[in-house]
Amino acid sequence: MTKSIVLQMEGIRKVFGTVVALDDVNLQLNSKEIHGLLGGNGAGKTTLMNVLFGLYKPNAGKVELHGEKVEIRSPKDAINNEIGMVHQHFLQVDSYTVTENIVLGTELKSWPTLKLEVEADQIRALSEKFGLAVDPDTIMSDLPIGVRQKVEILKALYRGVEVLILDEPTTNLTPQEVDDLFESLRVMVDEGLSIVFITHKLREVMSVCDKITVLRDGQNVLTEDRENVTEKSLVKAMVGEGLNVEESVVFSSVVSGAETRWGASEFGEPVVKVEGLHAQNEDSIVVIKDCTFEVRQKEILGVAGVAGNGQQALAECLMGVCPIHQGSVIVDGMNVSETETRDLLEGGVAYIPQDRLLDGFLPTASVAHNLILGYQRNQAYSNKGFLDWKIIFQSARQQIDEYTIMTPSAGDVAANLSGGNIQRVMLARAFAHPSSFLIAHNPTRGLDIRSIDFVYKKLFERKEAGAATLLISEDLDELFRMCDRIATIYSGEIVGILEKGEFDKYEIGRMMSGVKAND
Amino acid sequence: MDEFIPQFVGFARLVVLAIVPFVLASQGTMLGGRTGLFNVAQEGIMLLGASLGFLGAYLYGGLGYGVLLAVFSGAIAGLALAYFTTTLKMNQFVIGLAIFFFTMGLSTLFYKFVVGVTLQPPLIPTLQDLPIPVLSQIPVLGEIFFNQNSMVYFAILFSLFLYYLLYKTSFGLKLRAVGENPKAADSLGVNVDRMRYFTAIVGGMLMGLAGAYLPMVYTGTFTAGMVQGRGWIAIALTFFGGWSPGLILLGSLFFAGVEVLALRIQVGGFGIPYQFLLMLPYLATILTMIFAFKWIKAPAFLGQNYDREKRSLS
Ligand SMILES: Nc1ncnc2c1ncn2[C@@H]1O[C@H](COP(=O)(O)OP(=O)(O)OP(=O)(O)O)[C@@H](O)[C@H]1O
Ligand SMILES: [Mg+2]
Repeated sequence: MTKSIVLQMEGIRKVFGTVVALDDVNLQLNSKEIHGLLGGNGAGKTTLMNVLFGLYKPNAGKVELHGEKVEIRSPKDAINNEIGMVHQHFLQVDSYTVTENIVLGTELKSWPTLKLEVEADQIRALSEKFGLAVDPDTIMSDLPIGVRQKVEILKALYRGVEVLILDEPTTNLTPQEVDDLFESLRVMVDEGLSIVFITHKLREVMSVCDKITVLRDGQNVLTEDRENVTEKSLVKAMVGEGLNVEESVVFSSVVSGAETRWGASEFGEPVVKVEGLHAQNEDSIVVIKDCTFEVRQKEILGVAGVAGNGQQALAECLMGVCPIHQGSVIVDGMNVSETETRDLLEGGVAYIPQDRLLDGFLPTASVAHNLILGYQRNQAYSNKGFLDWKIIFQSARQQIDEYTIMTPSAGDVAANLSGGNIQRVMLARAFAHPSSFLIAHNPTRGLDIRSIDFVYKKLFERKEAGAATLLISEDLDELFRMCDRIATIYSGEIVGILEKGEFDKYEIGRMMSGVKAND
Repeated sequence: MDEFIPQFVGFARLVVLAIVPFVLASQGTMLGGRTGLFNVAQEGIMLLGASLGFLGAYLYGGLGYGVLLAVFSGAIAGLALAYFTTTLKMNQFVIGLAIFFFTMGLSTLFYKFVVGVTLQPPLIPTLQDLPIPVLSQIPVLGEIFFNQNSMVYFAILFSLFLYYLLYKTSFGLKLRAVGENPKAADSLGVNVDRMRYFTAIVGGMLMGLAGAYLPMVYTGTFTAGMVQGRGWIAIALTFFGGWSPGLILLGSLFFAGVEVLALRIQVGGFGIPYQFLLMLPYLATILTMIFAFKWIKAPAFLGQNYDREKRSLS
């Protein structure tokens, strides 16, 4: 059976200033196909799709739909050509309802007035059909990340699309939600859609894609049917010779593989002592309930849980950012409620926040600025209160090399970095200073495999050096691979703590939905 | 008690009369701001509106001509703001200030050019009151609200219209989205640039009209200092009113009230220094800003240009 070609992109080239983001890239999409688009951070995946969606004007190349050349100059053109895109970073109006976000820019039944009952019903029907459960009347900012992701997809489906682009849609989803999404994708394909699916997770590619294209440094390196590739061959294509697959933590075949390589450590003294911790947010809603745990030297304590169950608050309590209502938190001998965050940072606490776009990142400042943020008072950088830019830029350039941050220069605006490269900046900053306690919240989200491997090795190095680590993650594989113990959090409460050796996906899965360990 | 009611009615009527320039200029500011375009040239555009409003009426012998000229000049100023910021992506505040100085200069230039230097400044007839039949007969309220000039009615009705437009129409949904998240709006096919041009031009028109009110209702002449900071106060009022048309209308009563009160005290001669009274509106502005800042929610992309190919992650 020969499949008909829906979309053909040919010879696409896109240059930003001095960065060649895409160099003569081709992509061909068959009808009813799920086409995986792979590549490391900054490979050009998002850029290619932004070109297709009319957000970026290519410097060269052409786009054909059903064999006919089309000019897509704006998202409006793309929408008119039945192309929909789910963006890597949500594009939503926080203060609008779900319905308002979805119908924005479409023709309304009630035009010129704004009565959205019909549309809300349509959205309900759509979400039913594709298994994307959302309540159309909720205000966007009240929704958890996973649901917001669904709204993005519904936005595209509502407009009636033939080609759907999904730019890293699974980054924000729990394993369960990922499964649901894949089922929805199957329904969409049966409905006649063709899908471009961007992800960093090979397992997802192998389980859902029909065809795969790999980009590297803005160039095509591979296009193959799924049957003809293996995870290994894909990695090779993505990173070139840069990663030794045998040596990598990510590819250590079984859980114990990593353990033996990095050695089971003798834990030292407790560095962090949390006792009976209670915390409330600004609206006086309890976000942390009666948490008690310790993290010892050379130990990595994992925190598993569905996003939005108090992980953020827990991290912030330990950093002294979120007020503590009851109980005590002692970090490295410092009582957190009596210590300024900046003293904690200087005292050896490092923090990798999860929402890299909201916390700890200044999009309009330079890459170098971002690399020293929070450490600007450090002796090395400042001289009697004045910043020593020469040294800052020197160390910035070093870090850019070491962490392979893709940027034209240390002085470039940080907002120009690709998603994964922003994360590298955050990591570089957290790892640049010696620390006795490290909090990492989803440190590998949105990273490509090489970078993930890099993060894991860094975490293990720190551990060897004696640091205590709190690894908060929604990725169970990651926790199993890295942690000595895993605590599961559910609506602000620690439901149970498992030791290495008793880790069990289903057990933790149950606890994640609130079932106590001993029930 | 017998004395109080007529006194109060007289005062309240003056306050309602005085809201017009504040309301119009502030709604104009709000409109642009709701698409992310922060106009700071109110003071200048109003002055130009005052000058051209006066000259139009003076030259062609009808207030309508003045209104037309003032509105037209405001539209041009708004167009210029939109062109430099939206098309050329230049800094909104810098351009806004430039337009402020430019329009301020133009206003006296035009006046000098047409009228020249005279001992006795020429006068235009001021706008007549237009009592609304039946409604103006209602005790107290009738006198305060329905025995005013036509611009008062216009300012109030237009504010209500803007409220409806912004919150009850599909156009309003798009308009607000542009100020809240232009990239999201753009990605859904909303024309961000066109929306910003539209609000900048209509906003400018309102500011020009606000300026024309001053010679047409208060003085009958044009003088270089006649806007007296009302343009700046309109910015404060816009924040105070939470960038929402209804609250701006309500808030204008407060600023107009302070203005009338200052005038009253000045005329009454209570031994308070004249300069202090002139300070009152600004003092009120600062105080309200301090308290209002807690609950105002300005449009998320206020003052920021949008460039489709630039990444901005805020
Ligand atoms: N608007 C822009 N302005 C300047 N440079 C850009 C812009 N968009 C992308 N780039 C650059 O183009 C390159 C490709 O970026 P792109 O976002 O397409 O990568 P990606 O493959 O999506 O990576 P990731 O997996 O990290 O999301 C990067 O070097 C990035 O810095
Ligand atoms: Mg990307």
